[in-house]
Amino acid sequence: MGAWTVLQERQAMLLDPAIRDWVLIPIMIVMVLVGIVRHQVTVLLNGTPKKADLKSARETKALQRGGILRAHGTHLPEHAFEARKTFLSDAFEKGTYEKDPNASSKPKGNVMQDPAYVETMMDGMKKNMMNIIPQTVIMAWINFFFSGFVLIKLPFPLTIRFKSMLQRGIETSDMDVSWVSSLSWYFLNLFGLQSVFTLILGSGHAADAMRDMQAMSTMGMGAAAGPQMGPTGQPADMHKIFLSEKENLDLTEHEWGLENVEMRVLVKYGKLPRSVLVDYKKAKSLGSASSQSASSPSSASAQIAAAASSSPAVTAGKKKGRRQV
Amino acid sequence: MSGQQINPDDALYVDMYIAKNSQTMTFIRSSYSAILGLAAGTLGLTNWSGFIFYFLGSAFLSLLIFLVKAKGNPSPYFRQPLDVFTEGVLGGMLSYILFWTLLYGIIHVYD
Repeated sequence: MGAWTVLQERQAMLLDPAIRDWVLIPIMIVMVLVGIVRHQVTVLLNGTPKKADLKSARETKALQRGGILRAHGTHLPEHAFEARKTFLSDAFEKGTYEKDPNASSKPKGNVMQDPAYVETMMDGMKKNMMNIIPQTVIMAWINFFFSGFVLIKLPFPLTIRFKSMLQRGIETSDMDVSWVSSLSWYFLNLFGLQSVFTLILGSGHAADAMRDMQAMSTMGMGAAAGPQMGPTGQPADMHKIFLSEKENLDLTEHEWGLENVEMRVLVKYGKLPRSVLVDYKKAKSLGSASSQSASSPSSASAQIAAAASSSPAVTAGKKKGRRQV
Repeated sequence: MSGQQINPDDALYVDMYIAKNSQTMTFIRSSYSAILGLAAGTLGLTNWSGFIFYFLGSAFLSLLIFLVKAKGNPSPYFRQPLDVFTEGVLGGMLSYILFWTLLYGIIHVYD
């Protein structure tokens, strides 16, 4: 109850319903509509994505192949893995898959002369402009027409620091900070409408305010260019990338994914105690060959009756497990 | 949620499915936080009670997703099982504030 009376007291200010009808709701509607239009225009401008030519596609795919081999090499038997590794690192070294094998020896010309580079640059600029212009226009519109009066009361308090920002153009020093002008309503909409756009346009829509902010901060640096641009905006040296991928490949050790699989299956279905695996790891790190040959086949065969496998590795593990338990 | 039956022990997650799942989560959270904001504004919540209302509401939603959609076992659907409780909560907050302010203003400030 106390909170309610405080609320009533604070709210000794009445706003003209016309403000609601002609400012509050129109701003929101305009922002939603502009967001939708922007999404459609971006889709229109982008058109169908440009097809990469054969050579550059081969270049990226070769790099991807190296990455895939590194990540999923455990599914290959050792000899297959080694064969692929040797082949790929050889090819990377020689630059077989590069778009232009002699590019690194040639002196670099001016990048601005390269039509492909200029085109990606223009694309980035176009996208940036598409992001910035609508927001700037709306902001100017709101500033021009709707400044100088209180629009709405935020349902939560803010510190006094926000006063100059949220109550710009309203010269009252004593008014509570939660009464804000139309510009704050604009910012609330800018961020809050994201989810509305997600609902209307599906995710991955082009009406993203966060991206606007990014675009504004990186404006003029030719950001958002192509994927193959280095951090400086120069086209990256593919040969160097290939060499580093080769190095990564050389460092990758093969680990056979089915190693010890019988034991793992038995442990999984509860035929063997879990400690077997730990023992196995220990034995492997010491040199597994000696520990496995130590178990005699005759004593093992009596014990495997319960277990559904007769592999010597399993029995060795099983014996070790029993001994420990 | 397009879930695939996989063993959580190994790290075989299909990126496409993971992306689809988190997209679904975003969708659910977006609509839910907007509706929650409308409710809070209509009730005339202010200050902390509004924020507490949001966090309680989204905790309830997380619980529903956890129990109904993920059937109590989120690990096949998300890389991090705790994503069910955290993903998109703060992102939904902005739209919650927008709709909260809107309805609060229309109902309780303008008469």
